[in-house]
Amino acid sequence: MLLVLSDEHKEHLGFLPEVDSAVVGEFGRIAVEFLRKGTNPKIYEGAARKLSVDAETVQHGVEGIMYLLTESSKLMISEVDFQDSVLVLGFTEELNQLLLQLYLDHRKEIRHILSELTPSLPHYHNLEWRLDVLLASRALRQQMKPTVSMKLHLGESGGEKSVKVLQTDPATLMHLIQELEKALAELKTTHCRRILRNIK
Amino acid sequence: MRFRFCGDLDCPDWVLAEISTLAKISSVKMKLLCVQVLKDLLGEGIDYDKVAKLTADAKFESGDIKASVAVLTFILSRAAKHDVDSESLSSELQQLGLPKEHTTGLCKSYEDKHTALQEKLRESSLRLGRLEGVSWRVDYTLSSSELQEVNEPTVQLRLQAQGAETGTTETTIVSVSADKFRVLLTELKQAQAMMNALQ
Repeated sequence: MLLVLSDEHKEHLGFLPEVDSAVVGEFGRIAVEFLRKGTNPKIYEGAARKLSVDAETVQHGVEGIMYLLTESSKLMISEVDFQDSVLVLGFTEELNQLLLQLYLDHRKEIRHILSELTPSLPHYHNLEWRLDVLLASRALRQQMKPTVSMKLHLGESGGEKSVKVLQTDPATLMHLIQELEKALAELKTTHCRRILRNIK
Repeated sequence: MRFRFCGDLDCPDWVLAEISTLAKISSVKMKLLCVQVLKDLLGEGIDYDKVAKLTADAKFESGDIKASVAVLTFILSRAAKHDVDSESLSSELQQLGLPKEHTTGLCKSYEDKHTALQEKLRESSLRLGRLEGVSWRVDYTLSSSELQEVNEPTVQLRLQAQGAETGTTETTIVSVSADKFRVLLTELKQAQAMMNALQ
């Protein structure tokens, strides 16, 4: 499957053949570092001064490489397809090889970073519980009512925590446990096993 | 194999694996490591430099150091949770493969701090909406816009409690008339009598 690069993208990458391959390698390294940790505009200034070009041109070049890498990793395109897509830009063979090597080396890591960007529902973080017995209340003395109180800590995708306080009697708790065990047992049915085997 | 300190369940695999890591350091060093872990469990904080020095002889990497602290935390906190006496703990740990000198050192530290540990665990048990402070004042209303001569005492109560879900302090202010306050006081005294009967 071929990557289709927009004209603006081709224009940004058009800066790369004008510098030597060592600089392109450096840009590639900076691009991967930015994908890991976020951009740092000061680096563009420094590079622009050394190469005596506009900071904006350097920024476009690095961002062009970043976009090329993320799109190729996202679609998981093969080597041949990557080379064909890059051929369109009309770079030298050496530059093509450099970009291909950059893609292959960092593909897995970039995919891992991209996988963390998916939105997620609140998920389990911690559960605290306590078992109480209600002995008397203002309305009725001499009772015996066991209750389980729980504090469910949930984590959201942005790292914020939310807390839910729940209370139940032992019979409902037993029912809850049975339902959850049934859900776990579903994993062992033949239908589920067949699907999991095919995904692997 | 059921173990009392695991709550009559099987011992987790990672605990078995890390017990063999623990056996690599000398028993004296392990007793000092136990002391550090107990300090951490009692809320006094752990001194990681001391821990690193203790494990430096056996050439533990950072992963091993974390693992040995984790397994000691597990053993000591679970033993206190299930109220295991030190002889049973000692025999169970020896069954899992911890050498005798290490087990004796660990159980001695456990026995020393057993009560303190259980107190700390009791304090950190789930409590929803803890009451943090109460303050009150008695006012006497002389007159109001509705009635010229009111002449009524009221109590103003300020209750500071920890919110059940948020965990931050929430302040509630209530003003109670004399009769209602009398009812409130009687009911609370009855509840107090019931609590004292249970102690």
